[in-house]
Amino acid sequence: MSASELPRKEANVLKGHEGAVLAARFNGDGNYCLSCGKDRTIRLWNPHRGIHIKTYKAHGREVRDVHVTPDNSKLCSCGGDRQIFYWDVATGRVIRKFRGHDGEVNAVKFNEYASVVVSAGYDRSLRAWDCRSHSTEPIQIIDTFLDTVMSVCLTKTEIIGGSVDGTVRTFDIRLGRETSDDLGQPVNCISMSNDGNCILASCLDSTLRLLDRSTGELLQEYKGHTCKSFKMDCCLTNTDAHVTSGSEDGTIFFWDLVDASVVSKFRAHASVVTSVSYHPKDDCMITSSVDGTVRVWKT
Amino acid sequence: MDSDEEDFLFFGTPIEREEEITNRRKKAAAEASGQLRSAPPWKQEVLDEEGRRRFHGAFTGGFSAGYYNTVGSKEGWTPQSFTSSRKNRAEVKQQSIFSFLDEDEKVEMEGQFLGTSSKFDTFGFTAAEYARKQAETEQKQRPSAIPGPVPDELVAPVTESIGVKLLMKMGWRRGRSIKDSHASSIYDARREARKAFLAFADDGKVSQLADSEPVESELGSLIEQPVNDAVWSSQSTTDIYASGYNFEETYVQEDEEQPSSLHTDDKKKLVWKEQGVLPGFKVATNSDYQPERFNPPVIPKDFVPHHKFPGPLETEKKLAISPCPEVPPPDDNNLKILIEGVATLVARCGRLFEDLSREKNQSNPLFSFLSGGNGREYYARKLWEEHQKRDDQTKLSLDGKLSPSMKKMTADSRGKLLGEKPLERSSRDISSTSVTSGVSVNLQHDLSNTFTKPELFNALPEVAKPFKDDPAKQERFERFLKEKYQGGLRSTDSGAASNMSEAARARERLDFEAAAEAIEKGKQGKESNISLQPFVEFSATGGLKFTSGGSEQVKDTQAEDSTVKKIFPRREEFQWRPSPILCKRFDLIDPFMGKPPPAPRMRSKMDSLDSLIFMADSVKATKLGEDVTINRDLPPSQNNSEKITEKVAEQEVKVEVENVERPVDLYKAIFSDDSDDEVDSPNNNKVGDPEKKVEAATTALNRLIAGDFLESLGKELGLEVPPDVPLSTSKSMTPAQKATPNAEALTAKFEDTSSSTLNALGASSINQGVPVSEDASSEHTLTEIELNLENSLRNGSQQTKDVLSKDRDSKVDLEKMAQEDRKDKTSSRHRRNWSNSPSSEDERSRKRSRRHRNRSSDSYSDSSPDSFSDHQGHNHSRSRRKKKSSSREKSGGSRKHSKSHKYRSKDSPSRSSHYDTGKERSQAKKERRKWRD
Repeated sequence: MSASELPRKEANVLKGHEGAVLAARFNGDGNYCLSCGKDRTIRLWNPHRGIHIKTYKAHGREVRDVHVTPDNSKLCSCGGDRQIFYWDVATGRVIRKFRGHDGEVNAVKFNEYASVVVSAGYDRSLRAWDCRSHSTEPIQIIDTFLDTVMSVCLTKTEIIGGSVDGTVRTFDIRLGRETSDDLGQPVNCISMSNDGNCILASCLDSTLRLLDRSTGELLQEYKGHTCKSFKMDCCLTNTDAHVTSGSEDGTIFFWDLVDASVVSKFRAHASVVTSVSYHPKDDCMITSSVDGTVRVWKT
Repeated sequence: MDSDEEDFLFFGTPIEREEEITNRRKKAAAEASGQLRSAPPWKQEVLDEEGRRRFHGAFTGGFSAGYYNTVGSKEGWTPQSFTSSRKNRAEVKQQSIFSFLDEDEKVEMEGQFLGTSSKFDTFGFTAAEYARKQAETEQKQRPSAIPGPVPDELVAPVTESIGVKLLMKMGWRRGRSIKDSHASSIYDARREARKAFLAFADDGKVSQLADSEPVESELGSLIEQPVNDAVWSSQSTTDIYASGYNFEETYVQEDEEQPSSLHTDDKKKLVWKEQGVLPGFKVATNSDYQPERFNPPVIPKDFVPHHKFPGPLETEKKLAISPCPEVPPPDDNNLKILIEGVATLVARCGRLFEDLSREKNQSNPLFSFLSGGNGREYYARKLWEEHQKRDDQTKLSLDGKLSPSMKKMTADSRGKLLGEKPLERSSRDISSTSVTSGVSVNLQHDLSNTFTKPELFNALPEVAKPFKDDPAKQERFERFLKEKYQGGLRSTDSGAASNMSEAARARERLDFEAAAEAIEKGKQGKESNISLQPFVEFSATGGLKFTSGGSEQVKDTQAEDSTVKKIFPRREEFQWRPSPILCKRFDLIDPFMGKPPPAPRMRSKMDSLDSLIFMADSVKATKLGEDVTINRDLPPSQNNSEKITEKVAEQEVKVEVENVERPVDLYKAIFSDDSDDEVDSPNNNKVGDPEKKVEAATTALNRLIAGDFLESLGKELGLEVPPDVPLSTSKSMTPAQKATPNAEALTAKFEDTSSSTLNALGASSINQGVPVSEDASSEHTLTEIELNLENSLRNGSQQTKDVLSKDRDSKVDLEKMAQEDRKDKTSSRHRRNWSNSPSSEDERSRKRSRRHRNRSSDSYSDSSPDSFSDHQGHNHSRSRRKKKSSSREKSGGSRKHSKSHKYRSKDSPSRSSHYDTGKERSQAKKERRKWRD
């Protein structure tokens, strides 16, 4: 994909959140997106038509992250109220709340089968919650992190967490092994490449770092944006050709994956870009910002 | 019927009704069924579908399977004729499956050997087998020069299987492996490509190059590597026609080399095709018609493996001009100048000029040196010198002027074009040996070269000295450069420091490589014309120095550098144990399945919660215990229980001076769970760790006993108070905060605490000198308690009897309570979210009620799996407490396990034994009732 095919044209603006939008996520097939924010709501949108579909209200504090199951039937969300909410998408009701984190919960993800929710918390732990049983106890607590866990990624067999202690830790369930890659800089967000071989870690020194997962070597660094104090997302494009991230000044950056050159950057929001999510198949991207909007970008 | 027949006239034969045909059969069936219904089994007869009796008794003919209801054949049954085995004994036979098979079975078996039909015989195993068999049979028939079976290698199938055809269609060629190149190789390739990208990116090259790269590399990976696969090699080489075949690749090569033999080749091909040439093969060009072979080039004696060829022209020249011995210049100064001038000219313009001038100046005596006259030697010498001098200059200037294709195709540059890596040590060694053995002349030539241009050497730019600070290394680097860019001289000691480790050497080499590249690149920009000059010069000297780099100290500076650079990212690995349920949910096999659980980690919230709970319970326990002791020691005080309540209230105030709001949370934590006692215990009981509990209990005890004693007893009895309150406060802090979320977890503990309360109760009553019991069973716990109770009873023996009956009552009461409790379990579950600040008194009473409940429930269901650990824990705590309360009086209550159930009913009496008046008793009961509520 050449740089000209990057989504740079604003297709839609999703307005509705009051206050900052903290995360925006495509669903599995990219037809819908979810956003959550400081207004304690989660909103479901059709980004392509710019329609607001549903609002999920139950959180008592800001909602920091949301994730949807591959079958689009359930949501999980987390935020400042230290709980993980497990929602039914259709009815909009909370099926279960998982309590146990001793602090705000920063990130939450379903596993492949949507049977487990893994959450990353301010309490320096990753917790896995069972969606199948009625237990509200975590089925696993991973507390080897030395500082806040900011982000979590799941593969079929691994749980990967990025923490402010500068490490990206991979917990391989199949091998019973923890692999810690110390980047030396607080990790703000981690994101998997679509081929699953690399981890993109957004560090608080305004650098994105691309790690080879198998060897742990640093493949590339991407610089130019500002990321010093906000929880901001980064991701790779659907072809893994470019790396994208927001900046604290409201611009979106695209880097070439290989030579780390800034392929494109444009001002997208009036304020900090908190989240970027790339469409799984098309050249489409959604960004959320502290300015309260979610914007849809297309080529 | 009759009337019918009269009325109608019938023609023809009436169609017989089927009923009548099957009549017999039906009758048989009916009979059979009737028989079955009526007759006893031994009277029932088996009839066939025709109603005939086919099965006879053993003495009436047996099955009709024989010859019509008889045994034997048509001829009848004949007994076997007797044969004596005296003469022909049974031989010991090697039994095989065939000795048990009939002939027809054997025939069947014959056809059952599994084998691929030749059509599908991709790998030719069956065909080979078949061919070999055939060969064997053939060999049996005719004698052969080679005895024994035909070796496998000589036999191979000729036809082509479908598998092969398919593979061919898919692009596979013979001699290639059939591996799944997509699985790993793609990944590897990608990774390599990625690396390559990054490397390119680092080099600052344009991205277009990078763009084209991945495809290339992936393609490369997709092309299967030729493999000496055993099957294939054997097949192809052992092919009858193998001598006539070549792999296509080789064919192509030869094609290039010998276009002249192409036509014969084609002819050949046709011939062979008729005999079934395999598509992967082409007819060899050199099978029978031996193509003309070129002998290997004869290496001239004075050949120098000097890989830097300065253009074809000059090599010729250099070779043509043989070095001349040093000759004194002619006396005639004019002549000398002339000779030198001519020599320079000739050197510059070539031999042609010499010839020209010789022709022109044939008559001129001054130029007689050209044609062998005066000063000829000197001229020759001079010319040679000039040539040498010019060599590098011209060569290098030529480089600039010459077209790029003509440009000095050194082995290195060629290799670079082809993407080769420069050969390493081996080549160097060869060259060095050859140099040392061979041409000293060249050495001299190099020497002279160097010496004629010292300024160039000095002018070596700084860039070329990346290791200035480490001379030894710099030297090695120079040597490396020389090896890289120039063949030629090598010091026999191959330069690398012998005391360097192989790894260090490799690292250094990499380093050098990088440095050289950097230098070269820097050069290419500025002075592309003479890019190699400094190196040439430099390396020449380097080669001549023959320094023994090995003697010098080696500093692995770049090793350090790399470590500094490579600090991040840093990878570490640990063991990590996923919980079985997590594995299950991820649909993975637990890697630790069947292995013992890991050692308990550091105290977590749960533990501290434990301690919390224990604290609460043990408070009560101790208090009770104290009561008992008090009662024993002192005359029972009237308002004992009331006093206790007050005291506790006071004590709570006092103890919690440091952590004022603690108790609330604490109790909240407790009460949030107490309802779930029995419900969740099976799940969570395992969590409890005896040792942790012991710890928790003791700390709790330390703290609360202190408060207790201080308030309730200390003053009265003058006991010492262990002052370790602050510790526990800090501990209890976290649990209090974390209480709510872990409510569920707590419930388990409560189950424990129920039994522990019991224990503690008993324990406290006998903690005066009762040895710690370590044996484990809930039964024992009970026993002990009862024992203890007994002890206490003994102490207050005078009250025992009259109390006993009342106690039974109370026990019943308690039992009822327990039941009630169970009933309202569900409702009480909601108590978890109770308000944060109930009055302490309230709390206390509730606490007590719980305790009672627990106790009673325990008496019912004392088989909780945890009772052991609890029991142990409490014993420990008891022992500790014992130490603490050693100042108190001891009673020599020795434990007897045998006295168990007898006293079961007395557990409340023991407690109430000190309520010596009925009023008090009733009061106590009242209180209890209150707690229950």
